[in-house]
Amino acid sequence: MYEYDVKKRSMQEPTFLILTALAAGPQHGYGIITDAERISGGVTRLQTGTLYMALDRLRSAGLVEPDREEVADGRLRRYYRLTDEGAALLAAETRRRRARAAVAAQRLRARLAGGTA
Amino acid sequence: MPARYPAGAAVLERRYRRLLRCYPPTDREEMLGVLLAAARPGQRTPGLRQAVNLAACGLVIRVRRIPGWLAADAGQDALAVVSLIAPAVVVILLALGRGAMDATAAARVPFWTLLPILPSLGESVVVLAWLAVVVLGLLDCRRTAAVIASISLTLAWLAVLTASVQQSGGLSQGLFQFLGTVDVPVVLASLAACSLALSPGPLRGLAIVGWRRACLMIAGLSAGFGFPSIVQLVHPAAPSGDLAFRLLGVLAIAVAVAVTLVPGPVGRRVAGLVAAGLLPSLAATVPSRLYGGLAAWLVILLVAVLVWPVAIVSWRGRVRRASRAG
Repeated sequence: MYEYDVKKRSMQEPTFLILTALAAGPQHGYGIITDAERISGGVTRLQTGTLYMALDRLRSAGLVEPDREEVADGRLRRYYRLTDEGAALLAAETRRRRARAAVAAQRLRARLAGGTA
Repeated sequence: MPARYPAGAAVLERRYRRLLRCYPPTDREEMLGVLLAAARPGQRTPGLRQAVNLAACGLVIRVRRIPGWLAADAGQDALAVVSLIAPAVVVILLALGRGAMDATAAARVPFWTLLPILPSLGESVVVLAWLAVVVLGLLDCRRTAAVIASISLTLAWLAVLTASVQQSGGLSQGLFQFLGTVDVPVVLASLAACSLALSPGPLRGLAIVGWRRACLMIAGLSAGFGFPSIVQLVHPAAPSGDLAFRLLGVLAIAVAVAVTLVPGPVGRRVAGLVAAGLLPSLAATVPSRLYGGLAAWLVILLVAVLVWPVAIVSWRGRVRRASRAG
């Protein structure tokens, strides 16, 4: 059960990037880090500690869950996937950010046109 | 080590493994793979920023999992063991403290002058109350035992604080004397009261550890926490106020906790709970000129109060599990 009140608090950037990375399909930790960096346009490179702290919180909240484990190059690799609840929350956050971006874009157009919105 | 990892990666891996001890064991191997995959070619040490990030995030994860750690069955079992041993340790520490005071006084004055400082009625009542707590706990009357423990704990706090203030003639000096006379037993007494109230009780604790281990734990913890009193009984002129003496006292408690540890998840939780009694002794080693003695007093107050929410979290976990099973 997710106790995070989406109406009152914005999602933190690392959380948004992690959920977005997993929206494409199950990924392991290193894959999430590189995908998150690509999504952010090279701006954000998640630290490993930050990633696993966020994954721990998202798992407790039921937004992500382990998908499978593999051994690659002698190392354990655990894949995570987005749950339905996680996908719904990501969709809600995306709508909110899109709405904000639309307001910003409208005001910038008005500014460029020489007036204020 | 797989072939694609250069020789220096072994050093890096060793250093990462040390940092990953901050994390629960289930996450470490997976995180190690991620860290090594993200490492730069030729990297031999984690950078400062990365090390701080790993340590801090590991700590956050550990702290976040404490309610679950406590609410698990092992948490309730640990509280049950504490409800068995803590009241007995409190009784022994009260007796040791009384004995140490008498020994110190006898070293300074002729013995016939000791009569006026024999145990007062109040002190006797407190010791008898805690003896009753031990007996009632073993008779499975743990709620009655918890009530008596809570009442005697509250009265002991008030009595000692009042006596200290009266004796010193001033509030700030009273705090120093309060520190000197109310140490570990108050925290252990608070642990005893909350564990009796919010755990399955001493009989469950006895079923987990057995009589022999219980007696060993009680003796060991009494020796550790009562170290200053034992030394004063044997050597009344010992400098109990010295920093070195206090540090030895802290070490004695730590050794007692480690030695009497019951193996396994229950034992780790028991050690964690009982080690809370270590904090006031640690705080008492802070030089009084830095905080005016307030550090130890605040730690005693904080720890004695905080053990209650810890016990409540554990108890609520048990209630939730019981309602799900029902």
